[in-house]
Amino acid sequence: MARYFDIDDIIMEDELISVVYQVGANGVGLLDPGAERNCVEQGAKVELPFWLAHELHMRQAVVVSAPPCFNQKTRKEIQADAAFVDLRSRCPYFYEFGCKVAPLIGDRTIGSFLLYAFTGRYKEVLSKAHSSAFISTPKSTLLTKEETQLYEAARSSMAAFKKWRVGGPRFERASILRKRKPTD
Amino acid sequence: MYGRRASQLLKDFSANEPGQISAFDTENFDQVIKECDAHHLELQALMRKIQEEGLDIQTTRNADHYGAVIHHLALIRNKRCLMAYVYNRAEIIQSLRWKVGPVLPEEVQEKASYSEEEYFKNHSAALESYMSEVELDLTVDMVPPKDPYTKVRVLDDIGDVFLSDQSPNLARHSIHFLRRTDAEQFISQGLMEELSS
Repeated sequence: MARYFDIDDIIMEDELISVVYQVGANGVGLLDPGAERNCVEQGAKVELPFWLAHELHMRQAVVVSAPPCFNQKTRKEIQADAAFVDLRSRCPYFYEFGCKVAPLIGDRTIGSFLLYAFTGRYKEVLSKAHSSAFISTPKSTLLTKEETQLYEAARSSMAAFKKWRVGGPRFERASILRKRKPTD
Repeated sequence: MYGRRASQLLKDFSANEPGQISAFDTENFDQVIKECDAHHLELQALMRKIQEEGLDIQTTRNADHYGAVIHHLALIRNKRCLMAYVYNRAEIIQSLRWKVGPVLPEEVQEKASYSEEEYFKNHSAALESYMSEVELDLTVDMVPPKDPYTKVRVLDDIGDVFLSDQSPNLARHSIHFLRRTDAEQFISQGLMEELSS
């Protein structure tokens, strides 16, 4: 409940996950594009957003299968070179989503896989981006949303540190106004 | 898919830079409320159907029950999206009172909805009445000062003003030595810049 208003949390729960219905459900034909009547049959295989799949799983109405971003192929790629795997296109909330999905599919290897991926990528991508002398933007197209936030946090703290060391103006125009051009 | 439009609302919101808002998306917002109404109707229809079949609504676990559950969940989800949209916008609007002062800047005013403007005014009024009670301006000195005075350059023609210890003519491009507490408001409104010494 603490994250009720958290926009990232809400958007993440929109990730699709494939489930198999253990029961039928009437009046929800929209969920199954292949349905002939306005209902979902027992045994139907459907892609549902996580927020729905999670609740239905708790009611034992569906069986959840592992999303493709945690399949063997991705794991192999991560093992080969974690830093150059495009996780963003697979799942923009790779880690959070993994944490939420793991208990549903009862796969105990996901946790350690996430940790392995994160440590590898953190070392390769994020920390290098800060220690390098020139400002090199990391390949932001490869980073997940979480990693981007982490990178931004580190970048702004580096900027704050440099500002503190050098000194200079400390008051700034409110960021909401920065697009306005000074009136001539 | 259920809840698609509602989450799109939030995706549009989060596409803004942090701390910035875009115009209140009345159209999609109302559409999502309509979706909620539709879910509610479907939910009621399914519950009625269960009752008409003479089954106990508490314990029945048939296809109608699960259909109703899905509509219920979709409704809750839509509600969460709408609440988050309003809440996060309100947070930004509220923070503006502390950053730019008691008047909502024009470019924000165009984007805010009527209730958001009211919220800003009421928050501002509440803050002001508190500040006058404790006789302290809480919105200044957000950065701890090293020196009570600071050197500033005026960026816009402000004219003659009365400040706490002097009444300078703040003509454009003139340079002044002002109390930080006086200068802070002007700087955050973009009318002055601080000169590093």
